Amino acid sequence: MNRNLFMRELKSNALSLLIWTSVITALTALTMSFYGVFLENNQKILAMISILPEGTLQFKGISDVDDLFSVLGFYSANNVIYMLVLGSIYSIVLSSGILLREEYNKTAEFLLAWPLSRGEIFYSKAAVVFLNIAVINIVTAIAGYITLEVVKREPFSTDAFIIMSVYTLLLNLFFASLGLFMSMLVKRARPITTLSIGLVLILYFIFTISNITDGLSVIGYATPYKFVGMDTLAPDYRLDFISVLYFGGLSLLLTFIALRLYKRKEIYL
Amino acid sequence: MSTPAIQITDLTKRYGKDRGIENANMQVEEGEIFGFIGPNGAGKSTTIRVLLNLLFPTSGKARIMGMDVVRDSKEIKLKTGYVPSDANAYPHMEAGKFLRYCGRFFSPDGNERRINEKTELFEVDRKRKIGDLSLGNRKKISIIQSLLHEPRLLIVDEPTTGLDLLMQARFFELLKSENRRGMTVFYSSHTLSDVQMLCKRVAIIREGRIIKVEEIETLRKRQLKKIFIEFGSAVDNSLTGLPGIEGAPLVSGRSVRFLYSGEINQLLSVLSSRNIADMTAEEPSLEEIFMHYYN
Repeated sequence: MNRNLFMRELKSNALSLLIWTSVITALTALTMSFYGVFLENNQKILAMISILPEGTLQFKGISDVDDLFSVLGFYSANNVIYMLVLGSIYSIVLSSGILLREEYNKTAEFLLAWPLSRGEIFYSKAAVVFLNIAVINIVTAIAGYITLEVVKREPFSTDAFIIMSVYTLLLNLFFASLGLFMSMLVKRARPITTLSIGLVLILYFIFTISNITDGLSVIGYATPYKFVGMDTLAPDYRLDFISVLYFGGLSLLLTFIALRLYKRKEIYL
Repeated sequence: MSTPAIQITDLTKRYGKDRGIENANMQVEEGEIFGFIGPNGAGKSTTIRVLLNLLFPTSGKARIMGMDVVRDSKEIKLKTGYVPSDANAYPHMEAGKFLRYCGRFFSPDGNERRINEKTELFEVDRKRKIGDLSLGNRKKISIIQSLLHEPRLLIVDEPTTGLDLLMQARFFELLKSENRRGMTVFYSSHTLSDVQMLCKRVAIIREGRIIKVEEIETLRKRQLKKIFIEFGSAVDNSLTGLPGIEGAPLVSGRSVRFLYSGEINQLLSVLSSRNIADMTAEEPSLEEIFMHYYN
């Protein structure tokens, strides 16, 4: 890894990290501020939910409607959108652009003329990606925990909160690795931001369909969301070994393949 | 005998439908200013990108200072500077910060002394963001960053595009002075006058093939004659195939022009039986010699 390159990448991505972290934190705080109103109108909300198709709530990780009225259930239902979808979009957009941007902005002619091996370039940039993802996850988790403490009416499980945050981090790291890998498959330099965002949304959509449609639950396994434990209020809620293996293994594999591809990549400008 | 600064042996680079370079051979000696000339799309940039390991050779070898361009790329770049044809540095960075960033890849202090010297020479405003600079000013930044670490080899690709005449003159002077201190220059351009002014030897590349590596003076001194003949009647084809005629003669109405490197008596003897209205034989300009190779 090269410190000079790492520090520059860190600086050049700092503003986008700040914006994404602030937006997600603000959205979380805003949503959680409605928790009190939500509780006070529980009868109206139950009546509204009763007319929705069965399984509608499941895609937000809610298996029992009563869970929505617990502070952790309410938080995790919203976390699905904020961190599992928005956080994943941030991760894949950041990672798919960090190497490719040098090509389509034609700055690769400078970068690759400096005394750096391809491996050093890759490690420096990937380190920034993974560090930024860790930062956004840690900051939003801390902010989330504080809002939970502020709005709670009864105690919630800190362990369950931490486990959910770890799942979120694993999912985001997986999408970051996928972004690095995808960017290595692009032959001619062009941005793949739209494709990356589309992929996250499509995978989430497939997961949603698999959850609410009888007989389609098996297709959920084609998406990483199926491996995220969302049922935070279940008594046996824990980090599932298969899920950790799935995310850890795939992330390492995709990053390793991306590195191998980058070392042999033809840089067309 | 010293190791060549650049040695290319049977180098081929093919990619997709685009033409790359085909079976190229060339040697640049240490300490020389070597011209690499050809029209746009001839393969100059592809050759440079193989040398810098942005592209990988399809076959053949390329070595810089005796080191393999693929295996020893990092070591090579410690001793090599590069001025790319597109001076697209990071647009949101200030010029001065960009130069310090470049310098820190070679020295912890970012080669501040060299940055000061060169920014003064080229009258660069270090506070301005690169994205706000004109092409000429971005070119200056690109030139400065390539020289910060006092490279042993400088590779430049169309460096004068966008530079005004005063800055071009300063750039040429700088190249000559660095060359006197031992730096080899590989000067790629389609601008013949630049190459003619700076270089002692030149390689001519056309459609991906290096068709000539020659000293500029030798090219100039070749016994080439530019022949113009106006016939009294229609041009016949009796000249076709005559030894010494370089390339295909250009026919226009009753006149024909071509470059001739053979015996002048032989040409006259072929022409003696023809109805000639006018004829001239003169030295071609260097530009015409190059154009002859291009065509």
